[in-house]
Amino acid sequence: MTRVFISKDMASVALGADAVAQAFAKAGCEVVRTGSHGLFAIEPLVEVETSEGRVAYGPVGPDDVAAVLDGSHGTRIGAIADHPFFVRQQRFTFARCGVTDPLSLSDYGVHGGWKGLEAATALSAQDVVDAVKASGLRGRGGAGFPTGIKWQTVLDTPADEKFIVCNADEGDSGTFADRMLMEGDPYCLIEGMAIAGHAVGAGRGYIYIRSEYPFAIEAMREAIARSASRIAPFTLEVRVGAGAYVCGEETALLDSIEGKRGQVRAKPPLPAIEGLWGKPTVINNVLSLAAVPFILAEGAQSYADVGFGRSRGTMPIQIAGNVRNGGLYEVGFGVTLGELVNGIGGGTASGRPVRAVQVGGPLGAYFPPSMFHLPFDYEAFAQAGGLIGHAGITVFDDSVDMAHMARFAMEFCAVESCGKCTPCRIGSTRGVELIDRIVAKAPRAAGALETMPQIRNASRAARTHDEEVELLRDLCDTMKHGSLCALGGFTPYPVLSALDHFPEDFGGGDALREAAE
Amino acid sequence: MTFTREKDFGTPAASGEAVSLTIDGQELTVPAGTSIMRAAAMVETDIPKLCATDSLESFGSCRLCLVEIEGRNGYPASCTTPVAPGMVVRTETDKLRKLRRGVMELYISDHPLDCLTCSANGDCELQDQAGAVGLRDVRFGYEGENHLEGCKDESNPYFTFDPAKCIVCSRCVRACDETQGTLALTVDGRGFASKIAASQDEDFLSSECVSCGACVQACPTSALIENTVIEKGTPDRAVVTTCAYCGVGCTFRAEMRGEELVRMVPWKDGKANHGHSCVKGRFAWGYARHNDRIVNPMVRGSVDEPWREVSWEEAIGHVAREFRRIQNAYGTRSIGGITSSRCTNEETFLVQKLVRQGFGNNNVDTCARVCHSPTGYGLKTTFGTSAGTQDFDSVQHADVILVIGANPTDGHPVFASHMKRRLRQGAKLIVIDPRRIDLVRSPHIEASHHLPLRPGTNVAMLTAMAHVIVTEGLVDEAYVHERCDRDAYAEWAEFVSDPSRSPEAIEELTGVPAQEVRAAARLYATGGNAAIYYGLGVTEHSQGSSTVMAIANLAMATGNVGKEGAGVNPLRGQNNVQGACDMGSFPHELSGYRHISDAETRALFEKDWGATLDPEPGLRIPNMLDAATDGTFKGIFIQGEDILQSDPNTRHVAAGLAAMECVVVQDLFLNETANYAHVFLPGSTFLEKDGTFTNAERRIQLVRKVMEPLNGYADWEVVQLVANAMGLGWGYTHPSQIMDEIARLTPTFAGVNYDALEQRGSVQWPMNEAAPDGTPMMHIDHFVRGKGMFVVTDYVPTDERTGPRFPLLLTTGRILSQYNVGAQTRRTANVDWHAEDRLEIHPHDAENRGVRDGDWVSLRSRAGETTLRAKITDRVAPGVVYTTFHHPDTQANVITTDFSDWATNCPEYKVTAVQVTPSNGPSDWQKSYRELAEASRRIETAEPAE
Amino acid sequence: MMNTREHLIYMAGQIFRNFASRGEEAAVSATAEHLVLYWDPHMKAQALDILDDPEIDLPEPVRAVFGKLRVAA
Repeated sequence: MTRVFISKDMASVALGADAVAQAFAKAGCEVVRTGSHGLFAIEPLVEVETSEGRVAYGPVGPDDVAAVLDGSHGTRIGAIADHPFFVRQQRFTFARCGVTDPLSLSDYGVHGGWKGLEAATALSAQDVVDAVKASGLRGRGGAGFPTGIKWQTVLDTPADEKFIVCNADEGDSGTFADRMLMEGDPYCLIEGMAIAGHAVGAGRGYIYIRSEYPFAIEAMREAIARSASRIAPFTLEVRVGAGAYVCGEETALLDSIEGKRGQVRAKPPLPAIEGLWGKPTVINNVLSLAAVPFILAEGAQSYADVGFGRSRGTMPIQIAGNVRNGGLYEVGFGVTLGELVNGIGGGTASGRPVRAVQVGGPLGAYFPPSMFHLPFDYEAFAQAGGLIGHAGITVFDDSVDMAHMARFAMEFCAVESCGKCTPCRIGSTRGVELIDRIVAKAPRAAGALETMPQIRNASRAARTHDEEVELLRDLCDTMKHGSLCALGGFTPYPVLSALDHFPEDFGGGDALREAAE
Repeated sequence: MTFTREKDFGTPAASGEAVSLTIDGQELTVPAGTSIMRAAAMVETDIPKLCATDSLESFGSCRLCLVEIEGRNGYPASCTTPVAPGMVVRTETDKLRKLRRGVMELYISDHPLDCLTCSANGDCELQDQAGAVGLRDVRFGYEGENHLEGCKDESNPYFTFDPAKCIVCSRCVRACDETQGTLALTVDGRGFASKIAASQDEDFLSSECVSCGACVQACPTSALIENTVIEKGTPDRAVVTTCAYCGVGCTFRAEMRGEELVRMVPWKDGKANHGHSCVKGRFAWGYARHNDRIVNPMVRGSVDEPWREVSWEEAIGHVAREFRRIQNAYGTRSIGGITSSRCTNEETFLVQKLVRQGFGNNNVDTCARVCHSPTGYGLKTTFGTSAGTQDFDSVQHADVILVIGANPTDGHPVFASHMKRRLRQGAKLIVIDPRRIDLVRSPHIEASHHLPLRPGTNVAMLTAMAHVIVTEGLVDEAYVHERCDRDAYAEWAEFVSDPSRSPEAIEELTGVPAQEVRAAARLYATGGNAAIYYGLGVTEHSQGSSTVMAIANLAMATGNVGKEGAGVNPLRGQNNVQGACDMGSFPHELSGYRHISDAETRALFEKDWGATLDPEPGLRIPNMLDAATDGTFKGIFIQGEDILQSDPNTRHVAAGLAAMECVVVQDLFLNETANYAHVFLPGSTFLEKDGTFTNAERRIQLVRKVMEPLNGYADWEVVQLVANAMGLGWGYTHPSQIMDEIARLTPTFAGVNYDALEQRGSVQWPMNEAAPDGTPMMHIDHFVRGKGMFVVTDYVPTDERTGPRFPLLLTTGRILSQYNVGAQTRRTANVDWHAEDRLEIHPHDAENRGVRDGDWVSLRSRAGETTLRAKITDRVAPGVVYTTFHHPDTQANVITTDFSDWATNCPEYKVTAVQVTPSNGPSDWQKSYRELAEASRRIETAEPAE
Repeated sequence: MMNTREHLIYMAGQIFRNFASRGEEAAVSATAEHLVLYWDPHMKAQALDILDDPEIDLPEPVRAVFGKLRVAA
């Protein structure tokens, strides 16, 4: 009986993978459902097991079974690793994704699973923390804080109870790496969390998954059940979010797990000292925790050898938007933005010129092609007024209206704001109103109230366009420096970058840039 | 005292080790854990803030308090950032000014601009901070999306919520959570749509809000503001005084405008309340100027005549003449007096002095007779002093809290909030009460054990717990060996160990599963610091004194006396029950609990007063009434107590009063007792006099006069007028002189005087040479009596038994919004919450009787009958019914019997066998009493003076 | 409802019952001591009158208590 491998990743299913799988089963094949390799242009992808290894075809439809099985199908790729999209990838975290049956414990073991946990349990807690420090791993959720240092704080804080919390509330537009990993290699995350538990002395972990990820929730729950004895006495539980973007912020996430209204907590106290239920807590992103088994299994140095500057190891970059080769690309830091967009991504799907890319989700900065030389690196991006965030790249062609995108950022912030801090709660709404006026070229005239004789200090003259833009910059400044968390704090990135790089969309010229402080 | 706001340091005090840092070039040292904001405030650098206030944990939402810290990125909020050694902070830079102004610009873009006509004008933090950051122009304009159309919520009679004025700082929500612990408020919605909501977005009155006022106090704007401020304007002076409601003894700033009280604001430095309050003390003071206040003395020949207003001189002369006439006719011991736990220490001291010195007998008693007299007896016998062992703050160190026969969230709400804070932190709770009181299950609190025992079985229950502790080897042997009388312990241990006293043996009697009793006993004995709090559900029983001693036994056996977080703590009902008892209000003892038969003590007083004292104990209240019915007791002076409504078996009280020849009542209002009075002397409120109250933790606190008495005299002055008319020649010109006399004559008060009280705010007795700073906790190294005395407490069932005629047990209590007989609270808007007394009855018992919720029912005991409306609830167990006694129409005490505590005659209010049947109207007694009351309250106004 | 005499007898009996576990003799003494400390002279006098009134059927412990009271007086 012929064995074929077909992804059951949510994206593949959306592209018709289930029907394809059924057709192969009907044809008498043994169908193994895997995760996705991560290139959506070739999904649904079918890999046929042959004596020379797996031979890939994609995209494949349900009517293509015979052609695939006799090798005549026109989308024959050959070995997937030889595909141009994969050939230069460095798959440390996503090594098994697309290869194994995600819930098969034997597959996981055969493909190097549990080696990290075994290595870790043979070490002292401090040695594990030291290894993570030595690897240079930084938080993959966006902040880029060194994971080992966070773990050290939790390890050093005495408590009767500690927790590991995995942030799988992947809400940024254009990001999907967390989901792919949870669906395609859930044991990898479980192993990473068990290692973290051993490293800091935590007995219990929670994985907080957004409700929009039903496949990931199901996969994680099943994988937790199957691997319970493997990670005991460490225990894990999946908690499902309720649709609030802000619950991806780590302290709001803790409140949500505690059953409260998800609202950002002021720091300090750091969650590492007073986290879930007031106990020392490691909160890490899925990708941070999933990187840990490799580090323990292969040694911190193997991880640290890859990378750029202070950004060590690999980053699973998600390329999305108007792009020909959208998908997941794991590679060591340092690759340039242009290489990612034009080389690997293959330019826009529409075929029109690239005008802007947004890096780091809806709160990331927009970059014009003139900045495509930027290396993918935390510091380089920060210096350029942007951020890597969760490494989502969204590509736009020249039909994009950047003022509209700036407005979208403010609107997104207004919709998703928890309402706790003033700059975010009121500022985002004022930002939308303000950009609307700027775009409409309709600067605000003095209001009815302001022209009343009882009001003395308000300007009675209509505001100028420049004054409105200056107010927008001031508002961004207030939000950036005054907001309690990254939602309000990062909303100015897309707004200001759009304003800086695409002033023409705001009805002004280059003069506006000079008006900036 | 002029009006200044209390300084707000922004965040609560910390207590860590010293940390030195620099703020704006100024070096300072503060405890670790202090916020930068608080540290700055300590050196008079007030960083702008809106969401921070020092009564609440820091929150970090307003973003006005941003600062710069050398070596750190960004602009951290000073409220949420703790100090660190060597930290260098700048609080004012161009960048910070710009950020703050940017934040303020956002606030004001969504805020009304009518500052000058705003009720918080001049008392608004938003206004202050807008000024501080120098905002002049709101560049966003005023026409963006906003919240200015929100409707005011005026449902609460005392405060108004105006959502348009709200800046969503969450201080109200946090105050409700952290300070009050009711969690009635929340932020509804998110982002720009965030708004404050009560319960499930209800109006305040119908929500779970208990109207404690913490939210109003926390609000930085006029979003939540007292209606009195809306009506009268902001205050211009403030006087700190002590609340006259319950025994918690909250201190308040009475904020005044001229002679008019604008609002009562709980005082942050109050040692009992720490800036918290309840609906009564905070808001229910309107009775002080209620139209029902009687301000002129009145006299009448007999109780069926109308009252005649007379001059003070005539009234006082009449009293003196009548008392002397009666004594001449019927003997020295034919008259007496009753002191009031509502009045000051100085006033109660004077009333008992009037009786002992002036009347020449010891016929003086006090309302503590009907509440905590068993506490006095029980704790004196076991520990050696008639008072609770701890201060309130001790509860913050408790690991296990045992509440028996008390309902703190209704009866002692401010202390309950402090207790709930500790419970939310994880202390375990045991509740022993027939009713499922709120504490059993409330937000974030759930009792580990609720033992819903049958009323009247307290002693059996506590002895069974002692049985578990002794037989399971949980006794703190070392403590007992060192601290307690060993023989008494051995006798007691043998007694409680008897299998007949095991939880299993009494299970049928109490109705509580033995396993629960065992588990509760184990928790109490082994759960760490264990504190017992009890109330009238302990004392108001035929074995009230035994129950107090059984409690003391448990505490001694487990080593829970003399340390923080433990102890035996009576929750006193009235503001000055402790004080009234301390002052010698009982017929058998002089101030400081010294028996009247002690010649040496008597001699001290005789020398000071120049009079000979009767060495024989006098009559207790019920015995006075017995004697009156017998014709040997003919005259009484009753200050500030309504015995007809509050004492048991109303008909017996009425018969006794009716048999007297001169009943003198001094009160604010024509109370029920006054229906049987011949002389009415108008009283003054706590706002109208100086003096002291002593709360449940033995804390003596100043009561300060904030306005002139409507009736012309403070109560102590009236007592002095009577005394002098009887020839006693007193010459007090200020209550402080009375306190000096108390101190002179009472060893436990030797160090107490008004100067010390002014300086320290409050002191806890004993305060004398041995304890120059007073005594927050008693019995630390040894018991006051020497060795702790275990007392065998045999369970003696009450003679009040259910049977075919009276198959249900009635127990009584009180409710948050009302206070005792309701004389004050019924004359305030508190009736909005509790307009009538209702009978709580279990659905099962109601069903059997065809009673539906809200039906009128007849409530009958062998003593009498009344009617009231039924409330069907499973808070009470089957077989038990419950009511409050706040309304005179209910006449709950027509039902209660004259059974009482064996040792002190404290009435058995908590157990009456009754029957409940559907009814369609008032009982005959209620009808005839209503007629009598109406007739008796007629007043013939005096001729206007020329 | 009880009249005053019945009430006094009841009270004395109730006090005695609460001391009863100490044994009859000790309980009688403790009860009498209690009356000395807490009853007013008129009540004590009434107790002695009751003792002398042959019409009254006095429970034995109460008789013993009132008897002690007479000795004390």
